Amino acid sequence: MIRTHGARAAAGALAALLVLAGCSSKAKESGGDGDRADAGGVKTRIGISGKTITLGALTDMTGVYATLGKSVTQAQQLYVKQLNAAGGVCGYKVALSVRDHGYDPQKAVSGYTELEPKVLGFTQFIGSPFVAAVKQRIDGQDKGLVLPQAWSAALLGSPYIRVIGSTYDIETMNAVDFLIKEKGVKKGDRIGHVYFEGDYGESALVGSKHIAQQAGLTVVEQKIKPTDNDMTAQVTALKQAGVKAIVISAGPRQAASLVGVAAASGFAVPVIGNNSAFAPQLLATQAGPALMKNYYVASPSLPIGADTPQAKKLVADYRAAYPKDALDNGIVAGWTAVSAFGEALKKACASKDLTREGVDKALLSIDSYDIGFGVAQDFTDPKSPSSHESVILQPDKNVTGGMKVVREAGASEAAKSYTPGA
Amino acid sequence: MSEALVKPLRAVRSRTYASAAGAGVLLALPFYLDRFWLQAGLFAMAAAVGAIGINLLTGATGQLSMGHAFFLAVGAYGYCVFAADGGDGLTGLGLPTWLAAVLAVLVAGVAGGLFSPISGRLSGAYLGIATLALVFIGQHVMFNAHDLTGGANGRDVPPLSLFGLTFDDRELLVAAVPFGSAEKLWYAGLVLLAAGALFARGVLRGRPGRAMNAIRDHRIAAGVLGVPVARHRAAVFVLSSMYAGLAGVLLALVFQRTVPDYFGITLSLEYLAMIVIGGLGSVSGAVAGAVFVSLLPQLLTRYSDALPLVSAPGTGGIAPGEASRYLYGAAVVLVVLFLPGGLVGTAVRRRGTTHPREER
Amino acid sequence: MSTFAEILLNGLSLGSVYALIALGFVVIFRATEVVNFAHASLLLAGGYVTAVLHDDIGFWPALLAGIAGAALVGAAVEFLVMRRYRGSDHSVLAIVTIGVDILLTTELTRRIGTDVLTLGDPWGDAVLKAGPISLAHTRIAAFVAAALLITAFLLAFRYTAWGIAMRAAAESAETAALMGVRLGRVSLGAWAVAGGLAAVAALFLTVFPTPGLERATSLAALKAFPAAILGGLDSTTGALVGGLTVGVTESLATGYQSDLTFLGRGLGDLAPYLVMVAILLVRPAGLFGTKELARV
Repeated sequence: MIRTHGARAAAGALAALLVLAGCSSKAKESGGDGDRADAGGVKTRIGISGKTITLGALTDMTGVYATLGKSVTQAQQLYVKQLNAAGGVCGYKVALSVRDHGYDPQKAVSGYTELEPKVLGFTQFIGSPFVAAVKQRIDGQDKGLVLPQAWSAALLGSPYIRVIGSTYDIETMNAVDFLIKEKGVKKGDRIGHVYFEGDYGESALVGSKHIAQQAGLTVVEQKIKPTDNDMTAQVTALKQAGVKAIVISAGPRQAASLVGVAAASGFAVPVIGNNSAFAPQLLATQAGPALMKNYYVASPSLPIGADTPQAKKLVADYRAAYPKDALDNGIVAGWTAVSAFGEALKKACASKDLTREGVDKALLSIDSYDIGFGVAQDFTDPKSPSSHESVILQPDKNVTGGMKVVREAGASEAAKSYTPGA
Repeated sequence: MSEALVKPLRAVRSRTYASAAGAGVLLALPFYLDRFWLQAGLFAMAAAVGAIGINLLTGATGQLSMGHAFFLAVGAYGYCVFAADGGDGLTGLGLPTWLAAVLAVLVAGVAGGLFSPISGRLSGAYLGIATLALVFIGQHVMFNAHDLTGGANGRDVPPLSLFGLTFDDRELLVAAVPFGSAEKLWYAGLVLLAAGALFARGVLRGRPGRAMNAIRDHRIAAGVLGVPVARHRAAVFVLSSMYAGLAGVLLALVFQRTVPDYFGITLSLEYLAMIVIGGLGSVSGAVAGAVFVSLLPQLLTRYSDALPLVSAPGTGGIAPGEASRYLYGAAVVLVVLFLPGGLVGTAVRRRGTTHPREER
Repeated sequence: MSTFAEILLNGLSLGSVYALIALGFVVIFRATEVVNFAHASLLLAGGYVTAVLHDDIGFWPALLAGIAGAALVGAAVEFLVMRRYRGSDHSVLAIVTIGVDILLTTELTRRIGTDVLTLGDPWGDAVLKAGPISLAHTRIAAFVAAALLITAFLLAFRYTAWGIAMRAAAESAETAALMGVRLGRVSLGAWAVAGGLAAVAALFLTVFPTPGLERATSLAALKAFPAAILGGLDSTTGALVGGLTVGVTESLATGYQSDLTFLGRGLGDLAPYLVMVAILLVRPAGLFGTKELARV
């Protein structure tokens, strides 16, 4: 009896609510979802309300990528502030909606779901597994521009998810090229590659293996986890294998440990790392002297302390806005991404189409965009990263941002002829 | 005498109306809430299914498990392997998706069964930390068995399709409301949760439940009374793994992609937090705890801008993400300290209808 | 051969640091039967205090302050949180420590921010070379310090009144209380000792060859779980043996990963758990743990 009671009540309630559903705000009204045109004849749809364009940023300020996330986000907030001070875009102010996912997949996906209906696109999305997790939705129906702060070759190919700067595989090829051309590594030699488990490290490994095969080198692999902080065992194993140089695709701590251990045990081979394998904070630690002597970093752009007027202005502005925070290359990465987004917005404004499609199209038409960090970005081909070039840097504590340039931007032959995924 | 008969009947009737109204609201929500809330609700439902499973094991039988994340992963990846058609270059058997879901749950159970040499013999903290090994093994496999798991970036989850209805993002208009994957999955989630909850309640209220409680309260006495202790422990472990597997399938369907980072030790600890906060040993406790633990961080992140004492990033104060961590940590500590018996146990006591079994 | 010796020695010294963490873990478990998930944050707290103070007051006083600081945090957790719990279920208390860990770790990582803090230790990156083998001074110091502390602790456990009280409490809390042992004081002491040991461990986890203390340092405390279990959760000797086993296993699995590729690369983290499971299959109470005996 109780059961029939319950079922009857539930059925009644459901029927009543189905009728009410007609008044749901989610219900589709005819014509309500289409394009709008503002007074200036600019087409707008999602992500613009009133006089504000909203952009999203899915960042990590409390998880494993907190160092990167903080610099990137602050740089982007600075850009937005300056953009608005200069009048905004098309008469619209730009607002940045930041969500900190703390490198938690559930929060990252929720953050995307929450912001997606409100924003025109994303100037930042940290964590390539999370970008991959929402890729179906971005490519399928959302179609908003997403600029991930992850340089994985696996993210290429989508017209909406655009990787800025060279991907890890290409960067690693350029790094090994530097070892061959400048550090005397030659055919028949072995090189060590210490890399993180996961997307970043494995993507880099593809690059080192590719160029090693072309140049007749052998790669000795050492895979590590982000929780490994002591590289003694790795150095011992690589020493045993007789490597002539080491590539490291890990975090700053692992690089510092590796270089420090190698130097202290008299194993003086050159070490080169990817862009993410250095932080200026390391120069104040015991590993500092060894890093300055024997460590190099391949970077997708000039460092924050570069000798260009734009870089100097950015340093001055950033210092004024965030006096307590370190100057690192995350600032350049964030600034480059948000500038590219800003440029696309301006172009889209010029062609009077500030819809997502308009912005996507505008970005595709940018073929040589240089914001003063030495590398021109070409966004015309979604299958390829926006540049194949890397700058080789060396740590130096007397320079702003702790890095000086030892080889200007350039792409190795291996990187130029390489097609990702092939 | 007659009064004593009438009272419970009235209580039962009012409870029926309350649950009917609750069910009605749950059924109507997809017509009103936007995707963010539906997704949060689906995460909570999946968590509730998993939490029921671990509450059978830890709450009712007293077996501490920190390996729940592993079985969730088995369910999630198992579903992908069975259901995918192999079009993305990864292993896929291309089975009908409903069959894949059933098989994934069974495989999770088998995985739990394979662990029975350990789960049947160990108890307490030993079992807890031994199960931690499963999480590390699972993560290692997820990152390295690229053909099965897709490696660090995970693999796409084929949408479930049942009776010709596919639970994907293609819009379906129901009473003028567009239904995407979240709206459709909402109902699948409700059905699975209800079925899981009813089954677990049946187990707990029947003979096996009494045997489980006997093992928890006094293992040796239970053995003397004729309860086959090792077999029961291993069986509960298998059942709990199957619940985790089901939760994993549901989560995978909501995420639309499985990523190894998700199935870490934090997830296992969250499940333990759920059942302690909700109330050990009862189905309603598991559900209440799951809703609390999975919605709280989402709410805190969503409204982080509006929290007091929170400053914009870069100004040196407490960042929104940190504020939500503080509140979450404090909530765990305070609920456990000041609401012994969990949310549900306390609510039951407040109503004055304390029932020994529900209190646990 | 020299490579093997080097890997082994490194593993032993790393293992002795893990043993310190595991010992604290075991002490808390013996005194209160609680699995302490907040151990990671105690470690971070000790390291943080040392790192902040060493510039002003010198390394040794800073280290003492760090030990005292972590002990104080441990005692505070016991006094303010653990003692307030009125129930009797120890797995519930374990969950409370998860909450405590979230609170403490969030506060400490917020303070550390994106910095890498050095602890100002006197050893630097000096390396001892004996023939083909090279070993960092910090590693030798770690081994010596751990050996001294563990010996001192084992003696205290055996001969001091506090040690006897604690062992009595571990045998039977009720009987001990009837015999006049103040259980509250015993468990307060256990938490403080565990904090102090974790602070010393923090020092050796953040000196050369690692760059310094930062937000992820506390993750090393996870290594103490398999160490404590495979030795036997209620055995202090077990913690020592367990710690060394984990250190050596990890070091060997990493050093010889090229020979173990059939298991997939990057085994370092996983290997200790595999060893633990293997040991538990043979000895369900760990190597030195007391078998659970019960009177019906």
